[in-house]
Amino acid sequence: MNVSKQTRRQLTRWGLFLFTLVIVIVVNLPIISLVINSLRTTTEILSERGFWPSHPSLINYYYVTERTQFWVFFRNSVVVALTGTVICIFAACLGGFALSRFRIRLTRSYSSLLLMLQMFPIILALIPLFILFKALGLINTYFSVIIIYAVAQLPFATWMFRSFYDAIPIDLEEAAQIDGCSRLQSFRYVILPLCSAAFAAVTIFAFLFNYNEYLIANIFLRSESTMTIPVGIQMFMQQYGSDIGNLMAAATLAMIPTFILFLFVQRYMLCTAIGGAVKG
Amino acid sequence: MSVPTTELEAGMRVCARRRRHVEWLPYWLVVPSLSLILLINLYPFATGFLYSLRNGTMLQQGNFVGWTNYLALLTDSAFLHSLFFSALFAVCAVFGSYAVGLALALLLNKEFPARGFFRVCLLVPWIIPSIVSVISWRWMINDQTGMLNLILRQFGAGPIYLLSTEKQAMFSVIIVKIWRSFPFMMLSLLAALQTIDLTLYEACQIDGAGRWQSFRYITFPHLRDLSIVLWILMTIWSVNDFETPYLLTGGGPSNATENLIVLAYRLTFRRNDVGSGTAVAFVTLIILMALALLLLRRQSVAQED
Repeated sequence: MNVSKQTRRQLTRWGLFLFTLVIVIVVNLPIISLVINSLRTTTEILSERGFWPSHPSLINYYYVTERTQFWVFFRNSVVVALTGTVICIFAACLGGFALSRFRIRLTRSYSSLLLMLQMFPIILALIPLFILFKALGLINTYFSVIIIYAVAQLPFATWMFRSFYDAIPIDLEEAAQIDGCSRLQSFRYVILPLCSAAFAAVTIFAFLFNYNEYLIANIFLRSESTMTIPVGIQMFMQQYGSDIGNLMAAATLAMIPTFILFLFVQRYMLCTAIGGAVKG
Repeated sequence: MSVPTTELEAGMRVCARRRRHVEWLPYWLVVPSLSLILLINLYPFATGFLYSLRNGTMLQQGNFVGWTNYLALLTDSAFLHSLFFSALFAVCAVFGSYAVGLALALLLNKEFPARGFFRVCLLVPWIIPSIVSVISWRWMINDQTGMLNLILRQFGAGPIYLLSTEKQAMFSVIIVKIWRSFPFMMLSLLAALQTIDLTLYEACQIDGAGRWQSFRYITFPHLRDLSIVLWILMTIWSVNDFETPYLLTGGGPSNATENLIVLAYRLTFRRNDVGSGTAVAFVTLIILMALALLLLRRQSVAQED
């Protein structure tokens, strides 16, 4: 009796496993199909019937990496996303500390301001900034996008830092202050070293969001020498819309950094998901 | 709070004065962030409002026209349609992604092999760049060269125009939005599900409740507060979404899938009509502000509980 109950439980477990496997495949079908078809030439994509390519080749990848500006786009993406992230992290780690340790009117209104920023339609900021940056000759420069990226990720980064600081007992700082540290020194020498993992996580998240971003980059970076990957690929889509083989290879290449970085931070995913939303 | 005695009040004032020396630190801490916000959000907010009251272009300031741009929107069929599509898009995206997310969260909350791995796999639609998800979807449902129509052709069935007929394009944009947003819902709901005390379910079973009843009386009340926050957040994000409609259909066919953000973009950067573009953006902001107030009120209610 006991045995059959156990087998039944095992059966349910593996049944659930299979069921979820099917769901995962169906949900990711567009992506799976994109990656597999990037190994076919465009003519093969349109004519072959099977799921697997009969002559898998990297010809599309060769074309995208050798004949197009893909690496230029990649370099632009990395420079813009990384610099924006560094500025954002600097501002957010300080702001988050203020939110975590000082419960005064200033920090309460600052917290509401950050929440309001989440609602701010970015297009509303982009139109006047475009006119301003155009007058200053900053269109098609990294600076224009970097500074906007820094602010775009600010609310979420600040909230994440705040929740990490909240988890550190205040006693540690008080002990440092008794030993003669100033408040800022105790932050620098006690708190920050304790949050190195948090730093890494927030940095990677902010980088990912910036790397994936399209609208801002599309407005400010119009020349091929400054375009980021999403803008560059969208240009491919317009230029060789019929050449889907190359487009798929470019899209697959663009995903690779995202996947690698995501694997490092996926266990922190939850903090970003609801941290900012539920905290006031 | 009880009325403090005068002595206590005086003491508090002395404390406050003494503390004021040290408490400049938080102000310094927010200076970098605030100066960035000032430049990137508050400056455009103020100038954008002025632009919306003028009939300027990218190069010329134009003349002051008062509320004309806003009034013109009221009779502009493109604006009214984008308002309708934004609302439809947001409502469908919220309920669609919530339903899919909740179902998958309940599934992943069960005990079975490779659960953690599957959870990561299901986050993929959310983390990949929007342009990649759009290319993969366009490949699936494109008119002549999409996978769906290639397969249909092999069976001799006619092509389905999912991106180039109005109703179908609206449907496709919404489906892709749900696909891109459900992982966020799933992740948040799963986190909340994992904090439910399992003994509650046991107690419920002993009392003779069925599965539906334990969902209805334990799971759902537990998720309720989070759900409301998630609905509001997703509404705001959907109204603000530019990339899904713009990259997938470009707002077409004949502006059927144009939401407020795409319309503001088109008016400003394609038609060079800065006044109308910023006016649309401001209307969007006002709509979002109403939703934001709802969220803030919800939060203060939750904190009081």
